[in-house]
Amino acid sequence: MKSWSNKHKQATAAAPANQPAEGGAPYLSDNFARNLDSMQSELGGSPDLKVRRIQIGGERRIEAAAIHLSGLADTVAVNEFVIGSLLGNTEDLFPDDTDDMVTARASDQAAQETSHGDGAASGTAAPAEASINATAESAANSAAKSAPMFTAEPGTGRSPLPQLILNRALEIGDAVLQEEWKDIMLAVLSGDTVILLEGYRTAIICETRGGEQRSVSEPSSQLVVRGPKDGFVESVATNISLIRRRIKSPKLRLEYMKIGTETQTHVALMYMKGIAGEDLIREVRERLRKITLDEVLESGFIEELIQDKTFTPFPTIYNSERPDVAAGNLLEGRVVIIVDGTPFVLILPAVFTQFFQSAEDYSQRFDIAIMMRVIRYVSFLVLILGPSVYLALTTYHYEMIPTTLLINLLSQRENVPFPAFVEVLLMETAFEILREAGVRMPRVIGQTVSVVGALILGTAVVEAGIITPIMVIVVALTGIASFAIPAYNMAIAGRLIRFAFLIMASMFGFYGITLGLIVLVAHMNSLRTFGIPYLSPFVPLSVKGQKDTILRLPLWLMGPRKSPQQMRAELPEYMQLTTGYDEQLSPLILKNNTAARQQAEGEQHETDE
Amino acid sequence: MGTIKIGLGQFFCLTVLFELGTALVVNLGMESGRDAWLSILVGCVAGLIVFTGYAYLYRKHPDMPFTAYTRQLLGKYIGTPVAILYIILYINLAARDLRDGSTMLAMATMHNTPLFILSTLMLLSGAYVLHKGVEVLSRTSVVFALVVMLIGLFGTIMLVLSGSINLHRLLPVLENGLQPVLVSVAHQNYMFPFGEMVCFTMLMPYLSSVKKGPWVIAAGILFSAILLSFTMALNISVLGEDIVERSPLPLMPTISKISISDFIQRVDIFVVMVLIIGVFFKMAVFFAAALVGISELFHMPFRRMLYPCALIILFTSMLDARSFTEHLDEGGGLLYLVYPFFMLVVPAVLVVMAAVRAHFSAPRPG
Repeated sequence: MKSWSNKHKQATAAAPANQPAEGGAPYLSDNFARNLDSMQSELGGSPDLKVRRIQIGGERRIEAAAIHLSGLADTVAVNEFVIGSLLGNTEDLFPDDTDDMVTARASDQAAQETSHGDGAASGTAAPAEASINATAESAANSAAKSAPMFTAEPGTGRSPLPQLILNRALEIGDAVLQEEWKDIMLAVLSGDTVILLEGYRTAIICETRGGEQRSVSEPSSQLVVRGPKDGFVESVATNISLIRRRIKSPKLRLEYMKIGTETQTHVALMYMKGIAGEDLIREVRERLRKITLDEVLESGFIEELIQDKTFTPFPTIYNSERPDVAAGNLLEGRVVIIVDGTPFVLILPAVFTQFFQSAEDYSQRFDIAIMMRVIRYVSFLVLILGPSVYLALTTYHYEMIPTTLLINLLSQRENVPFPAFVEVLLMETAFEILREAGVRMPRVIGQTVSVVGALILGTAVVEAGIITPIMVIVVALTGIASFAIPAYNMAIAGRLIRFAFLIMASMFGFYGITLGLIVLVAHMNSLRTFGIPYLSPFVPLSVKGQKDTILRLPLWLMGPRKSPQQMRAELPEYMQLTTGYDEQLSPLILKNNTAARQQAEGEQHETDE
Repeated sequence: MGTIKIGLGQFFCLTVLFELGTALVVNLGMESGRDAWLSILVGCVAGLIVFTGYAYLYRKHPDMPFTAYTRQLLGKYIGTPVAILYIILYINLAARDLRDGSTMLAMATMHNTPLFILSTLMLLSGAYVLHKGVEVLSRTSVVFALVVMLIGLFGTIMLVLSGSINLHRLLPVLENGLQPVLVSVAHQNYMFPFGEMVCFTMLMPYLSSVKKGPWVIAAGILFSAILLSFTMALNISVLGEDIVERSPLPLMPTISKISISDFIQRVDIFVVMVLIIGVFFKMAVFFAAALVGISELFHMPFRRMLYPCALIILFTSMLDARSFTEHLDEGGGLLYLVYPFFMLVVPAVLVVMAAVRAHFSAPRPG
């Protein structure tokens, strides 16, 4: 009993601070009925918790129960493989028959478990779901913990029946023994089936996750004319398989984490060992580990917390719902973070130029790809500067406009009562409203937006004499330009900056625009994404790095592509920062830093005592 | 000087933009008439000789800004006041540059905007960039050096295409002998803009390579001198000596001669852009030099004095003269009386001190 309490203490010390403050013990009890009761009561007697009570064994019958959440678990697997094998294969499983095998088997099992743990840790051997079940540490823990228990089953002298069932009866691909209450509850909540046995403190967790999921379909936000048409889905396991199918290399590594104290969201970290830099991976892992958030429902939650700098409109982490993009970036040495429940994976580090690349650039001829890229950069310039240059030209520097056009413009402006700035602002705001409405509008009435936008705002506003026709052209052009940028988040950043430039241009003309540009470039220069300057390879200039930026050289000239790691390795030593600006990390992470430190100190005190 | 280091390419760009600064648009070296382009080149040689002195001091003290080794070489009691004087000089130079720039802007395009507003905007942008650090300033300069080069290339090609260049206006070379050129150099060109390189002594500790650094900066000086000389020659060949001499900003009328099929015409806004970029970077470098000096001398964090310093520069620039004429007048006076002291005399004394010190402290053979 003493050793038990000791272990208990250890477990609580090791458990994270976010352990739910439940009344129940942290481990299963001997009492079968009490276990069932507490499980049901912890879920509030939820009706979708299905408990199937059966009796197993031949002559000596033992009460058992298979528990799963309907809807989350795969019914076929639960029925046929879990309950079926429990009922059908346990006839000859008599604990007493195997007395002589116990010790050997137990140590055998411990070794097996440990190797399983290793497999999950390196992420090569175990299939995706297996390591979801139990993260590397918990698998290793349970192995270490269960080993002594089976060799010396307290009091009764009976052989470890759960182990026997696991080894000889269950026809399910992946099952582990578990005795910690928290992990068992998590397994049930994730869709696994838990087998409880009368008189044993060990439960068997069978992997039966299933239920309805969206199937792999064409990505909706990042389309290509030519290229693969599959997209990520909401299931992290499917997403990993989509990437693994593209990279059949043992160097592709996978790590799992659970983030979110309430949601317990699976977050997968993928990288190519040997291509991605070790310090980059360490830094990403470190930042992910520091997140203590209640809920993680989308990769945006993670992105916001691990990016280098919080106060900037520019995205410093790329997101994609295309597996080919993710695979390509993995091969270039970037790290991919997949969050369960969203088809958008995070790719980092991401420099400015990456947001102007499309997967299609590599399937088109290189000269055509270069032209498309140049068009994207031009459209970004048009997006941020278009209306402001128009404003500056017509308000301050009209001598630059060719005379006939100027006369034309002025005659148009005769009828308009507003200054040009108000005109631009009205139109741009109207456009933004239209766009926002179009995004949120149910598809059925989606047509209305285009009708209203095109007819009312396009034509009627001009006829009513509120806006000049040329202003409609300018606004429409910038609007279209914003859609020519492949990355949606970069386009939004451009839209926001456009308004700043509008104000500058309306007050100071080209003077304001030039100063605004200087400040903008300086701001972008001050950004880093996981240690890499945001504007590289332009600033700091690297000629070799230009192969895949605005240019897209033919593949035979591109040679081995440069990974961010190489890019950073080429930077002089004084530029090799990993953490970026520490003080500019997300405030939440900083807060957690101090919290984690305090907690660590607290633990230190405890151990001292 | 901490761990911040700036790459050589970035320093080159920063030097070029600093030198071009206001000099690109004003009528530089017009005392020598149509040989202004020559006097710029000669002035550059003089400036390079002066820079050798700065480079020598830097090589002797690669980790220290100017204000630190004045104290080391002259002792605490003379060195500290000298260092403070230099900080004041940099603030003054930044302020004068700001006044120059915003007045020229007001002359060129912003006729109705108050000078104070123009200056404030420029200074706030500078303060923002410096808030991000000197490294960010230098990296930003790379982008804008490229922009200035592109504008220059565009302007030149367009001028050639519209047929406004008449090289005969440059002839005869050295009509009155070498004397006017040398007079112009002695009066102006060795000091403006090349003597102002003294503020780079504050930034050189950031150089990533002690060995190559000064060479890169010298190359930057030479390159910008060639650009300035070329621009001046272009002005004269387009407008003629007479107009250039009387125009305060000769590049503007030059560029406005561009006219291609009534579509590309009056592109002098590009000149204004070059002017803004040049003034900005010049002022920012002076500003940075002053800040580095203050933070080094008073052991303060770099950013703490940023906004107070910005205010001082702003009001110095607004209050130093009642009108632009007075401002120019003062500038002439400073150029003859004050600046040579700071840019030549003190560094020369320091060079001698450093040489003597190196001579006596060097381990002797035998």
